Amino acid sequence: MKPSSLIICRCEEVTIEQLEQAYQTGSCTSRQLKMKTRASMGACQGRVCRQLVDAWVHDKDPDSPHDAELLSYRPPIRPITFGQLAKGEL
Amino acid sequence: MKSNRDTVSFTFNGKPLTGYRGEPIAAALLAAGIRTLRKHEESGNPRGLYCAIGHCMECRLSVQGKGIVRSCLTPLEDGMTVLEGQQLANEITGRKLP
Amino acid sequence: MKPKLQQTDLIIVGAGPAGLSAATAAADNGLSVTVIDEFPEPGGRMLGQFHEEQGHWWVGKRIADELIEKNRAQGVSIRCGVSVYGMLKVDQLWEVSTSHGTWTAPRVLLATGAAEIPMPTCGWTLPGVMSIGAAQVMTNVHYVKPGKRGLIIGVNVLAMAIARELSVSGVMLAGIVLPPGGPLAGKAALPRNNLQVLMGLSHLAPSPILRFGGKIAYALGMAGIVSSLFPRRGIKLWDIPLKLRTAAVSINGTDRVESVTLADVNAKGEIIAGSEREEAVDFVALAGGLYPLAELASVAGCPFIYTPELGGHLPLHSERMQTPVEGLYVAGNITGVESALVAMAQGQLAAASICSDAGVLGEDGDRKVVEAIGEVQRVRASALIQFHPGIPEARRKIYRMWQQTYEAGV
Repeated sequence: MKPSSLIICRCEEVTIEQLEQAYQTGSCTSRQLKMKTRASMGACQGRVCRQLVDAWVHDKDPDSPHDAELLSYRPPIRPITFGQLAKGEL
Repeated sequence: MKSNRDTVSFTFNGKPLTGYRGEPIAAALLAAGIRTLRKHEESGNPRGLYCAIGHCMECRLSVQGKGIVRSCLTPLEDGMTVLEGQQLANEITGRKLP
Repeated sequence: MKPKLQQTDLIIVGAGPAGLSAATAAADNGLSVTVIDEFPEPGGRMLGQFHEEQGHWWVGKRIADELIEKNRAQGVSIRCGVSVYGMLKVDQLWEVSTSHGTWTAPRVLLATGAAEIPMPTCGWTLPGVMSIGAAQVMTNVHYVKPGKRGLIIGVNVLAMAIARELSVSGVMLAGIVLPPGGPLAGKAALPRNNLQVLMGLSHLAPSPILRFGGKIAYALGMAGIVSSLFPRRGIKLWDIPLKLRTAAVSINGTDRVESVTLADVNAKGEIIAGSEREEAVDFVALAGGLYPLAELASVAGCPFIYTPELGGHLPLHSERMQTPVEGLYVAGNITGVESALVAMAQGQLAAASICSDAGVLGEDGDRKVVEAIGEVQRVRASALIQFHPGIPEARRKIYRMWQQTYEAGV
C-alpha cells in the first residue's frame, strides 16, 4: 500500500489522499475537510480521528487556529435505540 | 480475581461457542480466536476490536433481541445468538465506492 | 406517560479514580450521589493498571475496590452499563439523558477521563490491530490475551507502562518501534525526539517505569547525545526490545494481522532503502497518547481551551474545578492527562467545591476547598508518572485565564 492511501478515518475509510485532494480544492479547516470528505463524521463521531485531522491541518498550515468549535460534539453522543430515546424526553 | 465464573453457551454466525457469563461478548470471541466482528458497511473490509471501551464503535455486531450493540461493552448471556456486522447493499449506503 | 425522573443532589459521569473519589467525599458531606458509567464494572482505567513503585506493586484494581466499597457503605448509587448520551439544563436542574432513563440534579460532575489518539499505519484497520489501551483492558481486566505475539507502534509513557504490564501478564512482545514518518506522526517518528522523551522520563527519578539498568542507562545516555549511537538492534527494557531506530512501514494480512514490515530509519526518521523486513505477529497495539474526553462538556455549552501539555482541547475550568456553566464541574483526565493519583485528588477537590457551593459546608467551605487545592498540588509534584514536563505551568496558565475572564472586578 502506498503511504498516500493511508486511511485516516476508519469509520468512513477516508484516506490521506482524499484529504489532500479536498485541501487542494479549497477545504482548509478541519470542519471543511469533514464536510467535504466525511472524515470524522462516521459512527465514532470523530473520537478516533479528530486529533489526526487536526494534526494534519496544522502540518499544512502551522498558523491555523486550534479552535474546538470547528469540530464540536452534538447529542446523542452515544448510540441509543429509538425506544430508549422515546423513554427519555430529550 | 474473577474466580468461579459460570460458563455459558452462545453462537457466533451459527457456530456454537462457550464463554464466561457477564464478560463482554468481544472478550469471549477473542478468547475463542475470533477477530473479525464486522464487515465494513460499504467496502466489506473485515474489522475487529479496536478501543475495547466503547469509544470507537468498531466492534459493533448484532445480537438477536438486542439489535446492534458494542460487543466490548455488552455482557455475554447464556444462549445468545450473535451475528457479525454485515456489509450493506450499495442501494442502502448510497455511496459510490472507489 | 411521562417518564419517571430520578433526582439526586449530584450526578457524576464516570466511575474512575476522579469520579469515585468525588462521590465518596460528597456523600461524606451528606449529598445524595449517583455515579453513572457505561463500562460494565466501576473503577475506570485503574482496573487494568499496575506498576512497581518503591519496591512494591501499585495495583489500581485494589485502589478501585477500596473506593467502591467506601461508596457502597455510604449509599452512593453506582450505575454501570449506563451510557449518557446528552444533558440539558431545565429550570436550574440538569437533565442527564441515558440509555436507562433520565436523571436530574442541580449539579453535575464530569469525570469522563481520556480517549486514545491512534498512530495510523498502513493496514491499521485489519482485525488484530488495536489501541494500546485495548490491549491493556483485554489482558488485565477481562483476562484474555490480545494475541500470541504482538508489536507496539509508538513510544510514549502510556506505551512503556502498558508494555511492562503486558510483559508481566505473559503476553509476548516482538518489540516497541517507531511509527512511520509523515504529518500524522510528526515528531513521534524521529529517533532523537523519542530518545529525548525517554531521557526526560528517566530523569524523573525515581521513575519506576523507566528505572533503567546501568548498561541501558549508558546506552540511552550516549544515544541522547548522538542518536546514531543507539544500537540498531535496539535495547532490552525488561524483556521487551525497544527499537528506536526501527519504524513500522505497514501492517500486513488478508483478513487479520499476519506480519508487520519494519525498516531501519536515519536520524530524520527516513526509511533506509533496502532495510525492510517482515516480523511475524498476530496483533499490533498502536500508542499515540491520550486526550481529554470532553464531549459532554461541549454538549453542556462549556467553552474550551487548547493546552497541548495537557492533551489538547479541554473544558475551561477554575482551580476549584468549576466550569463557566453554572452547576457543571470537571475532575480527572477531562481537565488534562495526568496520573490516577492526581485524578483522585482532583475528585476530592471537586467534591469540596460542590459541597461548598451547595452550602452544606457552612463557614468551612472555603477553607476545605483551599486545603483540597493544596493536596492536588502536592500529589502532582510527587507524581511518579508524569505525562508531560510542562503540566504545572500549563495549569497556572489556565487558572490565570479563568481569573482574567470570570473573576475580574470581583
